[in-house]
Amino acid sequence: MMTSTTKFMASIVLSKLNKHYGSLHHAVKDVDLTIADKEFVALVGPSGCGKSTTLRMIAGLEDISSGEIRIGDRVVNNLPPRDRDVAMVFQNYALYQHMSVYDNLAFGLRNKKVPESEIKAAIDRAAEMLGLHELLKRRPRQLSGGQQQRVALGRCIVRNPLVFLFDEPLSNLDAKLRAQMRIEIKRLHSQMPTTSVFVTHDQVEAMTLGDRVVIMRDGEVQQAGTPLSVYGHPVNRFVAGFIGAPAMNFLDVTIRKEGDTRVAQSAAVKLAINEASARALEAWQGRPVIMGLRPEHLALGSDGPVSRSFPAKVEVVEQLGSEILLETRVGDARVTVARVPPETQVAAGDQVRLSVQPGRLHFFDPKTETAIVA
Amino acid sequence: MAMVKEPLLFARLPLNARRVLFGLVLFAICFLFAFPVLWLILTSLRPESGVYYVHRGTEFTLGNFVEVLKDDRVVEAFANSALIATLATVFSLLVTVSSGYMLSRFQGPAARTWFGTIYVFRCVPYISWVLPLYFVAQSWGLYDTYMGLLLPHIAVHICFFSWLMKGFFDGIDPSMEYAALIDGCTRWGAFIRVALPSAIPAIAALGVLCWLFTWNEFLFALILTGNRVPVITVVMAQFVTEMGMRWNLMAATAVMALLPAFLLALFGQKYVIRGLRL
Repeated sequence: MMTSTTKFMASIVLSKLNKHYGSLHHAVKDVDLTIADKEFVALVGPSGCGKSTTLRMIAGLEDISSGEIRIGDRVVNNLPPRDRDVAMVFQNYALYQHMSVYDNLAFGLRNKKVPESEIKAAIDRAAEMLGLHELLKRRPRQLSGGQQQRVALGRCIVRNPLVFLFDEPLSNLDAKLRAQMRIEIKRLHSQMPTTSVFVTHDQVEAMTLGDRVVIMRDGEVQQAGTPLSVYGHPVNRFVAGFIGAPAMNFLDVTIRKEGDTRVAQSAAVKLAINEASARALEAWQGRPVIMGLRPEHLALGSDGPVSRSFPAKVEVVEQLGSEILLETRVGDARVTVARVPPETQVAAGDQVRLSVQPGRLHFFDPKTETAIVA
Repeated sequence: MAMVKEPLLFARLPLNARRVLFGLVLFAICFLFAFPVLWLILTSLRPESGVYYVHRGTEFTLGNFVEVLKDDRVVEAFANSALIATLATVFSLLVTVSSGYMLSRFQGPAARTWFGTIYVFRCVPYISWVLPLYFVAQSWGLYDTYMGLLLPHIAVHICFFSWLMKGFFDGIDPSMEYAALIDGCTRWGAFIRVALPSAIPAIAALGVLCWLFTWNEFLFALILTGNRVPVITVVMAQFVTEMGMRWNLMAATAVMALLPAFLLALFGQKYVIRGLRL
């Protein structure tokens, strides 16, 4: 039943979705989002950004204040959760404590009055995929966090639903296990491609798992796109700062013209801007903008022209083995992080030059914080 | 790490001395609580002539128990008390459990109204319920009937114990119920099949508390019942008559009345302690 029946198209369409709690709290604001059939979308954002509320509205656990949710060809606004044919993995696993693992897995199918023999077959397959065979007779209490989350995944798989919903499923696991489960979820999705929505506050999870990443803040979608596009072309300063670790550095600069070239200049920095960016910055001539620099795009030393580098004072050296993170001071007390190769000889207090490719510069409007050049 | 300071009072004493002291204090406190009960048991085993000299006489008898059990009224009172306590427990649990669940899980006008109602009733001093209840019982023809005693007890249980039950459900993670909703349950289904089984220890604790509460209750029973529905607490008090006080018989009855409560508390202790912690 799990692999044989092909479910009909299960896209999810959210249109003008809103959620109010009372009159004061507007948790989700006019969210428009289309999730394609079999697509894996990661909803990411800081806590309180409305991502979980959005997920719970898709699941039917929260009422919708206004707007519409479609799953497949049905509007599900007024359908109770049990009729939406979705499955959900919770942060705290939410296993039925008074049932064995087997009964946990069987619960949903028994509710659908599926014959016991079919249930057993489905559980066998899921247990095979997730390595649960030894655990089937145990109670959830007797399992480790990782095992419990595996059971929770299994409970979703056996139901073979239209949609998988994940509500921060890895947050309660330790770092190593989290990385393992991430791979596990990715593998599951390739084995049984099912439309999935994954909520997380961890941008690494979002980037690694999502076919598409949707960044939310204060109830609004900031940007939706492939991991590469949200990383490479963030639409505003928030997205730029949220995606990528360590976070993007921001410097206040002014756009000036020097001969034929345009430069971004502050007291300590003068960087040449490439031609494409210069065109976009035409209107910003002589005005302040925010310049964004990713730590991984900064290199130590000044190979090439002086106009591609700026001086900095090293304050902290973090040796990670695979790389070094340099916390530096650039001019007026601004801390800028650079990622450099681990064998670099550098010490706190050193005066260095940090260089950057002109094409790697991001520019943001200082008032609206939207991207001018992404 | 910060040093933890010993309490100064006993810090100078050697460890063994401290242990002995601790034991003595503990014993003294336990004795304080147990003394009336021990005295009661002793009294129940004395002949009538010996009740005022419990600490002196050496004459013991089980005659008091025999005499009390020969009295049909006492036996009937035991049966009544047990029946009313059990019925009150069953019916109040039915309401209390679902009302506690509602208080824990639902917001909205209905839940708020219910919350306010039982809060107000809870604040009313116990004794001020009695007189109005008496008039109501009289005018509804419930005076001196099972119903007349049962209903007030259930009402009191609901007001007092819904809170305890709310506390229990607050401690149970609601996402289990969300999972059940998604897995095909209705709201009621999620409550009955997932939340209830997790709350069984709490419900057991509450059951014990309800039962003991009704079994021990005196005030309502005194005012709301007459001769037709004797209950044990009232019958016990009736050993005090114009002719004198039958202390030995009263003690024997009391010891017997203590027994089920004692057993229940003993075996339900594990749950009750968990229940009272919340």
